[in-house]
This record gives sequence, structure tokens and C-alpha cells, in this order.
Amino acid sequence: MAARSLLDENRQIKRAIELINLGARLQVLESETDLPYERLLRLYKEVAGRSPSKGQLPFSTDWFMTWQPNIHSSLFLNIYEYLQKSTDIESIDAISKGWRLYRDEVSVHGVEPLLSITRAWRLVRFVDSGMLCLTRCKKCGGRFVTHTFELDQQFTCGLCEPPARAGKALRGGSIH
Amino acid sequence: MENQIDNRWMTEIREVNLSYLMLAQGMVRADKAQAVFCLGVSEAVADILADLSPAQLIKIASGNMMMCRFRFDDEMVWSLLSEHGKRSSQGLDGNASRLHASIVMAGNFAEAV
Repeated sequence: MAARSLLDENRQIKRAIELINLGARLQVLESETDLPYERLLRLYKEVAGRSPSKGQLPFSTDWFMTWQPNIHSSLFLNIYEYLQKSTDIESIDAISKGWRLYRDEVSVHGVEPLLSITRAWRLVRFVDSGMLCLTRCKKCGGRFVTHTFELDQQFTCGLCEPPARAGKALRGGSIH
Repeated sequence: MENQIDNRWMTEIREVNLSYLMLAQGMVRADKAQAVFCLGVSEAVADILADLSPAQLIKIASGNMMMCRFRFDDEMVWSLLSEHGKRSSQGLDGNASRLHASIVMAGNFAEAV
């Protein structure tokens, strides 16, 4: 292994700790830091106090299209893009800062953050690879997560025209 | 009498200016990216704010003009914001319009770019 700068390593460990504290899965850490797997695993156990969850990450873009998740995802992605465009921070830092801002914003309105940090990271990757994007709603002018090939002239968001059964759930912490 | 009232408004503006500038400076110094989003200022303005001395802050605050103003002139945002808290047809306190406003507001880069 090439000699690693101590400062750089320290920066990466800090970033990993931040992500673990926000509840990120191990796969996110593996992808966003150069730290070896063994160290990440140890770090995860020390910070979270338990072993990381096993199993694959959710891989489908469909989840982001359903009514409630779409509102959560759109809010997060707007904040993320705002941070990316207005400051020069790295993508992963914009994800963690953007996610905190998203979490605080929904909590203020009594809504539980349905979009986990891992999902948020996944969403940004889907956008980077051109599978998902933000499309402007023709009614309210807000930008919402859609598949890339949505006909953007005709797009109306799920809040301007909610589907018939949307928001009827009486479960606490949901959007209604 | 009228003059006294006018003076009171001006004093209040100066006080709000100073609190606003101090809040903005504190936020920028603590976490610039977050502050840029929450305050809706550009990174360049944030950098200037962070470097101001207390004496400069007081001097800037001591005009009769408000240093901060409404972030959105958009009627859509205001109608969504004012709908918040109204009871929906099911008799629930709807939070959807408030989140709708948050999405439209977060997507508004006019001041930031």
C-alpha cells in the first residue's frame, strides 16, 4: 500500500465517523473513503456500538417515485444541489450536510425523515449516472425527482396533484 | 410625538440589523455551507461577513435601512406558507403544503448563484 498522508487519513476517518453517526451503511463508507475494509469495520463497531447491517443496498429507482418518498427525496435533492451550486464542498460533504438540513426541516413539521442517509447517497448516485433528475413542475415551479426521460413540459408534481389515496394514512410522522 | 414614533422604528431596525448580522456571522463562522443555505446569501457575501470586526458590524447595522429582506417574492411560496396550519377536509393539520413550500424554496437559487 502506498504511504498514506496522516492528515488525509485523519480527514477520512472524521468523514467516516460523521457518516456512521448519521446512520450510513458500510457500503457508503467503502465507496466514499479510501480506508481499508477492516479499519472501517472496526470503526463502525466502535462508533455505532454494534456490527453493521448485512445484505445488499436497495438498488431500484422505483422507491423514489412513490408519493411520500418522492416528497422526501425531492426536498433532500434540492438542498443538496443548492449546497453544491453555491459553495465549493465535496459531494459527500454536501450529502451529509444536506441530509442534516433535510432531517431538521421535516422534523420541524412533525414528519419523520423517511429518506435515510444511505438512500440519500444512493439518490445522488442515481442522479450522477443520469437515471434520475429533478424536473420542474409546470404548476408550482418546484423541482421534483423524476426519471430522466420524463416529458418535462407536461410534468405536474405529486403535491400539486396528489394521487387519490395520498396522505390518508393516519400514522404519526407521515405527510398528510 | 410623530417624530418619536419614527425614531422608535429606526432604533428597532438598527437592533434587528445588528442581531441579524451577528447571527449571520456566527453561522458562517461555524459552518459556511449550512449558513449559505439557511441565510440564502452567496458564498462571496458569506466570506465578507465572516471577516467583519465587531466595530464594522455595529457601523453597518446603524443605518435606517433593513439589512435583511424577504427571501422570496414568489406568490406561490407565500400562498403555500400561509396555507400551513389550515385544517384539511379530513380535519387534520396538513403538513403537505408546508413541505411543498420547503421544496419550492430550496429549489430557488436566485439569491445564491
